Amino acid sequence: MTSATVFRRQIVSRTAAALLGGYVFAWGFIALGVAGMFAVGMSFHDAEHLFSMLALLLYLGVFLWSFAAREMRQVWLVLVGGGALMTALASLIQHALV
Amino acid sequence: MFQNFRLAMAWVHTWFGLVLGFVLMVVFFFGSLSVFDREIDRWAIPESRFEPQPMPSFDRILKPVFESMQPSPESVAAMRPRVDGPMPEHFDTPVRWGAYTTHRDPVLGVFAGYQVPNAKDPEELVWGNRTIDPRTGESLPDDHLKIGSQFFYPLHYSLNFHWKDLGYWIVGLAALIMLVALVSGVVMHRKLFRELFTFRPGKSSQRRILDLHNLTGVVALPFHFMFAFTGLVIFAGMYFPVTHTQLEPLHDLHEIIEAEETGLPHERAGVAAPIASVDAMVAEAQRRWASKDMAGDVGFLAVQHVGDANSYVSGYRAGTDRIALTGEGIHFNGSTGEVIREDPVPSAVENIGEFLTGLHLQHFRHWLLRWLYVLGGLAGCVCIATGFLFFVKKRKRQHAQKGVSGARTVEALAVTTVTGMLIATLGILIANRLLPANLPARGDWEQYCFWAVWALAMAHAFWRSGPVSAVRTAPAWIEQCRAVAVLAVSAVALNWITTGDHLWRTLSAGYWPVAGVDLALLGSAVLALWAARQLKRRDRRAARAADESAAGEVVHA
Amino acid sequence: MPDNLMLLMALLSNVVGMGWLALAMEVHWKQVRGRTPRGNSTVLGLRALGALALTVSLVLCLKVDHPSMAALVWVMALAGAALVIAFTLAWRAQWLAILLARRPARARV
Repeated sequence: MTSATVFRRQIVSRTAAALLGGYVFAWGFIALGVAGMFAVGMSFHDAEHLFSMLALLLYLGVFLWSFAAREMRQVWLVLVGGGALMTALASLIQHALV
Repeated sequence: MFQNFRLAMAWVHTWFGLVLGFVLMVVFFFGSLSVFDREIDRWAIPESRFEPQPMPSFDRILKPVFESMQPSPESVAAMRPRVDGPMPEHFDTPVRWGAYTTHRDPVLGVFAGYQVPNAKDPEELVWGNRTIDPRTGESLPDDHLKIGSQFFYPLHYSLNFHWKDLGYWIVGLAALIMLVALVSGVVMHRKLFRELFTFRPGKSSQRRILDLHNLTGVVALPFHFMFAFTGLVIFAGMYFPVTHTQLEPLHDLHEIIEAEETGLPHERAGVAAPIASVDAMVAEAQRRWASKDMAGDVGFLAVQHVGDANSYVSGYRAGTDRIALTGEGIHFNGSTGEVIREDPVPSAVENIGEFLTGLHLQHFRHWLLRWLYVLGGLAGCVCIATGFLFFVKKRKRQHAQKGVSGARTVEALAVTTVTGMLIATLGILIANRLLPANLPARGDWEQYCFWAVWALAMAHAFWRSGPVSAVRTAPAWIEQCRAVAVLAVSAVALNWITTGDHLWRTLSAGYWPVAGVDLALLGSAVLALWAARQLKRRDRRAARAADESAAGEVVHA
Repeated sequence: MPDNLMLLMALLSNVVGMGWLALAMEVHWKQVRGRTPRGNSTVLGLRALGALALTVSLVLCLKVDHPSMAALVWVMALAGAALVIAFTLAWRAQWLAILLARRPARARV
C-alpha cells in the first residue's frame, strides 16, 4: 500500500470516529446522565438540560481526541464501546424506574 | 499519522474549516442580519411601518380574532394522512390559542391549534396563523413574506432546507466544526495574547490575510465560541432526541408527575365553560411581577383547553430587561380567573440554560448590545472569509504550476459565499420592492429570486475566476463588489420610489427600522466600492510586477 | 448621568484601556514611540492603567443594566475596542501617542 492510501484510510477512519463515534458517545452520556440523575432525584428537565450541555462539550473534546490520538483502535473502543455501554445502562435504569 | 498534536490540529482546522466554512459563512451572515430581523420586516412590508405595540386587550381585540380563526389549508392537508375517515369542513374544538409579541413588533402574530376528530394520535393538532394590527384587530394579508423573521432568520439555523430536517443537521454539524476550528485554531496560533493587536497591512498578502484571520478570530473568540455553543444548546433536543426515543417512557413518567405538581390540567373536562376576563388576569400577572421588582409587559399569552371547564390561561413576561429567557409564567383558571400556579424560582441549571439561550435569542431591549452582536457576527464572517483566502493564497502558485484546479475552485466558491451571498440578499430586497403587489404567492417568488440571483452569482464566480491559475486575483471579486454597490443603492432608491419613505423623511421622523436598513445598505455600497478600488489597484500592481519579472527573465535568457 | 452617556463612556474607557495594554507591549510601543526606551515601571504602569480603564468600563456597564446584560455588553465592547486599537496601530499608530499624553508625531510611513 502506498503511503497516500494509508493516509486516506486513516483520515476516513478518524473522521468517522470523530463524527459517528463521538455522536454515539455523546448520546450514551446524555442517556446515562438523564436516567441516572433522575433516579437519584434531580428534576427531569434539569438533568436533560445539564447533560445535553455537557455532552456537547464532551463531543467537542472527543472529536479533537479522535484526530490527536496515536492509536485508533483505542479511540473506536472508547467511543463506540463506551457509548453503547452507557446507553445500555440508561435503559436498565429506566427499566427499573418505569 | 500526524507527527504531533499541533499538526493534527492544523489538519483538522484546515480541512473541516474549508468544507463547513461555506455553511458557517451563511450561518454567521444571516445570523447577523437576524439581529435586526423585525426591522428588515418593516422595510419589506410597508403596511406595517408603524410604532411597536404592546399586547392588545384580549377581551376586546384578541378574543374575536381567535373565534373567527380556522386552521390553514396547508396544515389540514398535512394532517389528512394521519386521520381515520374524512376531515371535517369546520374545526369546532380549539385546544390552544396563543399570541406573541416583542418590544420591536408593530404587528402581532397569533396562532390557534384545533383538535382533529378521529386523529390517529389524538394529541396532534391542526394549526392556523394570522398576523393582525393590534390597534384594531384587523387581519393583515398573511402571504407577505417577513423577509427578516421568516426568511433570513430560519436561513440562519436551517438553511431553509426542510427536507428531513437536513438543513438543521448541516447547520448543527457546522456549529460543532466551528467549536472544533476555534479550539484547533488556538492550538495552532499559540501567540493569542502576544499578537492580540497585530495586523500588518504592509506585509505580504499571505501574512496580511492571516493577521486579519487571527485578529477577527481572537478578539471575538468568546462571542464565536458562545454563539456556536448556545446555538447547539438551543437545538440539542433535536440533535440528541434521547428523551423522545430511548428514554420516552421515563419522559412520560415525569410528565405525569409534573402535571400533578403544577395542577395544570392535562386533559379537557368535557364540560363547556365560558372564559372569564383575560384582561383582569393580565393585570393580576403584571401586579405580581411588579411586586417581585420585575415590572413588565406580557410577551406571550396562551389559552389551553379553550371553552372547557379545565381551561387555563398562561401569561409570560416579555424579557426586555435581562438576558435570561425567563417567562415568570403565571397560570389562571380560565373560567374563574383564579391563579392556579406561579412558575417557581428557576433552579441553577434552568438559570444557566435560560441565560445561554437568551444570550443567543436576544429578546432584550438594548440597541448597543444588538449592534455589538452584529459586529461580532461580521467579525466571524471576516474570519471565515480570510480563512478561505489564506487557503487559496497558500496553494495558488503551486496549483497553477501543477495545473491543478483546486485553488481556483475554492476561490470561485469563496466569491460565491462572500460577495455572491450579498448579491442574493440584495436580490430578495429588490424583488420585494419590484414584484407586483397582488402577485399570487408573492412571498414564494421573492424566495425564488433570492436563490436564482445566488445561482447567477455562482455561475459568474466560476466564469470569472480564470486568472487565479495565473496567480492573480479573480476578476469576479471586483465585478461582484461593484454589483453589490449598484444593487444596494438600487434597493434604497426603490424603497423611496415605491413607498415614498426616503431617508430624509424616515430620519427626520426618527423611524429607525427603515432608516437603519437604508443606511446599512448605503454603507455596504460605499464599502463595496472601496473594496473594488483597492482590489483593482492591487491587481494592477501585481500585473506590473509580473510583467517586469517576465521581462527580466527574457533579458536573462 | 443618562444611560446612553454612561455606555458611551464605557465604550471609550474600553478603547483607551486596550490602547494602554497594547502600548505595554514592546512591538506596539515601538510603533508609537520608535526607539525611545521605556523602563520596567512604564510597562507596569501601562498595564495597571489598562486594567483600571477596563474595570471602570465594567463598572459603568453594571450601573446601566442588569448584571447578566452588563457582562455581555462589556465582553462584546472589549472585542470592539481590541479591533479599534488593532486597526489604529495598523494605519494610524501615531494617534496612540495621545494615550501617553504626547502629541502624535508626523506619521512615518
